[in-house]
Amino acid sequence: MFKKILLATSGAPSTFGAARVAFDMAKRYGAEVVVFNVMGVPTKAFSQVVNDVRTGEEIEVDDEYRAWVEEELKSTFQKQIESVEFSKIITTTGVPHREILRAARAEDVDLIVMGASSGDSSAYRKGYPGSTLQRVAKAARCPVMTVHRETASYWGGFGSILFATDFSKQAESAFKYALASAKELDCDLTLFHALDISGKVLDQNAIEDELIAARERIRATYVSQMGDFKNFDVEVWEGVPYVEIVKMARERSADLIVMAHHNRELDPELARIGSTMEQVILRAGCPVVSVSKPDKV
Amino acid sequence: MPEGILCNKTPINTDEQLKLTLSDKGGKQYYEEMNHLEVDSDKLWGAIQKTMKSRTKTWLEICAHCGLCAESCFLYQVNGRVPEQVPSYKIQSTLGVIVKKKGKVDNAFMQMCMETAWSKCTCCNRCGMYCPHGIDMGVMFGYLRGLLYSQGFVPWELKIGSGMHRVYRAQMDVTTEDWVDTCEWMAEETEEEWPGLEIPIDKEDADIMYTCNAREPKHYPEDVAEAAILFHVAGENWTVPSEGWEQTSLSMFAGDWECCKDNVQNVYDAIERLRPKRAIGTECGHAHRATVIEGPYWTGRPDGQPPVPYIHYVEWLAEALRTGKLKIDPTKRIKEPVTLQDSCNYVRNQGLKDVTREILSYIVEPGYFVEMAPAKEHNYCCGGGGGFNGIGIYRPQRNMALRKKMEQIIDTGCKLVIAPCHNCWDAIRDLEEEYEIGIRWSFLKPLVIKMLDVPEHLLPKDE
Ligand code: SF4
Ligand code: SF4
Ligand code: SF4
Repeated sequence: MFKKILLATSGAPSTFGAARVAFDMAKRYGAEVVVFNVMGVPTKAFSQVVNDVRTGEEIEVDDEYRAWVEEELKSTFQKQIESVEFSKIITTTGVPHREILRAARAEDVDLIVMGASSGDSSAYRKGYPGSTLQRVAKAARCPVMTVHRETASYWGGFGSILFATDFSKQAESAFKYALASAKELDCDLTLFHALDISGKVLDQNAIEDELIAARERIRATYVSQMGDFKNFDVEVWEGVPYVEIVKMARERSADLIVMAHHNRELDPELARIGSTMEQVILRAGCPVVSVSKPDKV
Repeated sequence: MPEGILCNKTPINTDEQLKLTLSDKGGKQYYEEMNHLEVDSDKLWGAIQKTMKSRTKTWLEICAHCGLCAESCFLYQVNGRVPEQVPSYKIQSTLGVIVKKKGKVDNAFMQMCMETAWSKCTCCNRCGMYCPHGIDMGVMFGYLRGLLYSQGFVPWELKIGSGMHRVYRAQMDVTTEDWVDTCEWMAEETEEEWPGLEIPIDKEDADIMYTCNAREPKHYPEDVAEAAILFHVAGENWTVPSEGWEQTSLSMFAGDWECCKDNVQNVYDAIERLRPKRAIGTECGHAHRATVIEGPYWTGRPDGQPPVPYIHYVEWLAEALRTGKLKIDPTKRIKEPVTLQDSCNYVRNQGLKDVTREILSYIVEPGYFVEMAPAKEHNYCCGGGGGFNGIGIYRPQRNMALRKKMEQIIDTGCKLVIAPCHNCWDAIRDLEEEYEIGIRWSFLKPLVIKMLDVPEHLLPKDE
């Protein structure tokens, strides 16, 4: 299931965590890695000038600059590249989320790995709303793994996966992915639902009832599909979903959180407030895989 | 050296030459070679005798030097009102002199003309409205640019731009394959949220053939998806051509007349091949000017019209809202002060001022639309028109030019600017980047999609 991984990186230290996970996974599971870099965001109409993704400065992309960026990436990741069945480096200019999606499609990758912040400059966000991550996660055909920080718990292997569901249609695909990963990687799987009681006034009995109902729903919806896979347990907690998911991940020492992405809101402000996934990514200590389409799971 | 390797009188016609010119960082070698480029005076004079129409001749002769056009030019206003920025002066001191001297001018003079033609005029045609004789520098500078181009005196980016059109028939290196693939991709990506959505390619006898700006497939394919969503919701029978989809014309701004004709013919051929009832272009001002207003003349169409009625996106959108093909949910209308950028290229050049305001009447809560002053056909250029936006060596002049639009926007007190033109959109984006006045800007399509009242049967089933 991980034959080809697209590592979207600016080459900056903020993406090293993502790079480490991508290469470690590739090494462990014999995958190829496509190192993908968007050098700059187009500006100035039809001219050759772009805003450098890292510095925000205006640069002119020519063969020389391209070669330099490639060389930089190669030396930045040299050790890691040598350790895997390396595939290639692709550099391009364009709007980051678009180009990541374009490359993932063209290369037919099984997983996109990226850092949580891509450094897209705020001027472009205003015109074309939606953070890079939001937009990649929404439209990608394959699962998208985000590594926000140098991961504390992940050291080259997965022992425990947390699948957080909100019972949406997309969660169905996320579940399939979580289960397949748990089987293939031979890890524990926690099936988790956080009952959203934020902004609601419920009495304790009502909460208890809903918790019981959610457990039953998990059993009916997911456990029924698990066949002879036994390394799992079911948990339901109440609270603010992203907080509970992060807490649960910590409690289980999860190495990976899998969840669905189906936020239709592309306005960055609204999406940010509304998106459980983005909050989990920013707060969790382990990589987070978001799945929104059934294609590659 | 009469002609350089990069800077010469020959248009870019091959991919090789294009790449070579592109690899010259910032046009360094190109402009160096320009210093040695010889002016072919005989050819120049020959061209003038052959191509200069009586209108231009008359205009040059009857100008009364009254200076009434001075204030009309935004470049005059933002550049300290110096005499060198008076429209009549700009054209008399360049084209006027070339004609007077029967083409016997030197390299330095031609370079001065180049600077004037591309950094002191955006061909916005505003001055023509204020001259008592209707003398229009925008038109004359367009003509002068052609003469300069044929002698090799053209800014590096525009030499490349028209080269792109010649080699790829698009202002960027988007091939037919890239374009078709992008359409398929966007349909795939969008159909989930909009069940049944398609982007039909090369469908014959459709009601609408849609054309766009190469920047869309290249960098912002969601524009294509957004057009598809709106056509889909409106229930239109539409298509895009696999060839002849690119409607823009950097060659028009470069003064590459031959290429202008070829490009627009390519679009017209698509119309003739697919036989749509009408054609609709995207939210782009100069694309509309090129394919709809000037194009028929370039291709020598006797009636001065494209092969089928060819309308700008704002015309279609107004019609769709008016007839109820698209419905706006009144609770989602814009409820903050919002202003509108009138694109010279379809407002002043074609008078589409009322339809844009009609659209606003549907999508903005009454009382929130604030006009710029002046507005409509009196509006100023965004500051980046006529190719100005993309030319590196004239960046400081362009940034200065943005100030007029900045003042206009600040005066409205709005934080949101609707700019239904790619180039204006770019200029306003750059304006925010340069001066940080805290504004947002948008095309119409994404705004309208957010406000749509979508019929039940078009929504995804299970959400
Ligand atoms: S207003 Fe007309 S006549 Fe007067 S100086 Fe300008 S171009 Fe010449
Ligand atoms: S066309 Fe526009 S930019 Fe050019 S001289 Fe006239 S007003 Fe100025
Ligand atoms: S860029 Fe826009 S405002 Fe400026 S000249 Fe062109 S159409 Fe007019």
